[in-house]
Amino acid sequence: MTSGTGAAGPGRPSVGAMTEPAVVVDAVRVTYRDAVALDDVSLRVRPGEVLGVLGVNGAGKTTLVETIAGLRRPDAGTVRVLGLDPVAQRRAVRRVLGVQLQEARLHDALTVGELVDLHRAFHADPRPADEALAMVELTERRDVRFERLSGGQQQRLSVALALVGRPRVVVLDELTTGLDPRARRRLWATVESLTSETVLLVSHAMDEVERLCDRVVLLDAGRVVAEGSPAEVVDRVGAASLDEAFLRLTGRAPGEDEDAA
Amino acid sequence: MSTTTAFGALVRAETRMVVRDTAGLVVPFALPTLLLVMNAAAFGDQEVGGGRTVVDVHVLPVVVAVVVTMVGVVNMPSFLVTYRRTGILRRLAVTPVAPSLVLAAQVVVGVVQALLGIAVAYAVAVAAFGASPPSRVGALLGVLALSIAATYALGALVAAVAPTPSSAVAGGLVLFFALGTLGGMFGSTDVLPDVLARIGEVLPFGATVAALAAASGETALPVAPMVGLAVTAVVAAGAATWTFRWDR
Repeated sequence: MTSGTGAAGPGRPSVGAMTEPAVVVDAVRVTYRDAVALDDVSLRVRPGEVLGVLGVNGAGKTTLVETIAGLRRPDAGTVRVLGLDPVAQRRAVRRVLGVQLQEARLHDALTVGELVDLHRAFHADPRPADEALAMVELTERRDVRFERLSGGQQQRLSVALALVGRPRVVVLDELTTGLDPRARRRLWATVESLTSETVLLVSHAMDEVERLCDRVVLLDAGRVVAEGSPAEVVDRVGAASLDEAFLRLTGRAPGEDEDAA
Repeated sequence: MSTTTAFGALVRAETRMVVRDTAGLVVPFALPTLLLVMNAAAFGDQEVGGGRTVVDVHVLPVVVAVVVTMVGVVNMPSFLVTYRRTGILRRLAVTPVAPSLVLAAQVVVGVVQALLGIAVAYAVAVAAFGASPPSRVGALLGVLALSIAATYALGALVAAVAPTPSSAVAGGLVLFFALGTLGGMFGSTDVLPDVLARIGEVLPFGATVAALAAASGETALPVAPMVGLAVTAVVAAGAATWTFRWDR
């Protein structure tokens, strides 16, 4: 783990000496017709590290997640997850990668327990259903249909499904957006319990990033504009907080749209 | 994970959702039975020769075509487009299973629904209206298999091009009524202009009705409708594969 203000959990192994990154994004460019979503983006996520990806809405965060997950093929550059190509080696990557996508629903009419069982069937060595549900404190809601869960519970279930296959790399996209403080803290505790996994956390919540992440990458208009531990990013621009550093680097507040400047 | 285990889990999940959507069961079960009872009550005792009645050679084939076409081009695509629109396909696309397994599970559950609906229709026709049980079961099953392949391929094409669930239902219904009208759902196709009647004969609804009518008696299966079903299955499946989007 690199130095920084991130409090990624006392059980998390030190990864500073490890040389092989768990995730490599190298000079990646992704375009949608005429719009450039990612422009020459490079980053490394070390094994066991929690890397935060920050940016305003439309900065390219979700495109980055989708490219790492193999849902989008980059126009240029390469992506590797534990040395595997997410597009060419799709199935192999899905076995080691757990993804919680922003705004992806689940089957409304199925219960929590049925959804966990369904997703367990997709993996060779899944976590027991009880363990997956306990990780997100949903054991008591096992027999409740997805459509009857609160927003926070739906999000927690989505995280449980991302973790049910015992992934070595976990991608969490907008983990706590729209949730109340209690629900957010519950999900933070779940992330803090991931002591052996590599985590890529996409967020525009500064308190979340400062609490959970070892390092952060700040995206603006599809480009990386800052990278380092939260403390390093703050120091680099002479800001008093990560929130202020974000404002100085992007000209916008976290959560604003890309074209708001 | 084995593909079989994942596929079995997907089929179980799809089955649960279909069973819990009780309103959706009206299409494969209640609607065809109602259609059968109305038509059989009006024309059921009319003999057409060889001991066969209008129920055997027209009403039952039309009811079967209604079940297969309705489930294939309306029900199945609306489910699939809902899955795509709400992000369920996208969510599954980041798991080790191929999203195409979801499509396959949908088809299996839809086919089972259609077969159960057909079995109910035959049971009611035999028990209540003295219809003859199918004598050439092999021919009947062969026609059904080809009919299901053709209509489901058309349904997959509807799912591929429809942007929203409501547009999938609308497109599916337009297709259903077009195929039904040209295929004899509302009465004899003799009243249609000759060219439309000829086209309707080889499109899935009319081809299914003609082939099932032949399969229910002793006559050979008609070539043009069987070829029409096969061509529709191949062409529509190819077009659906080419145009289908897993993401919004």
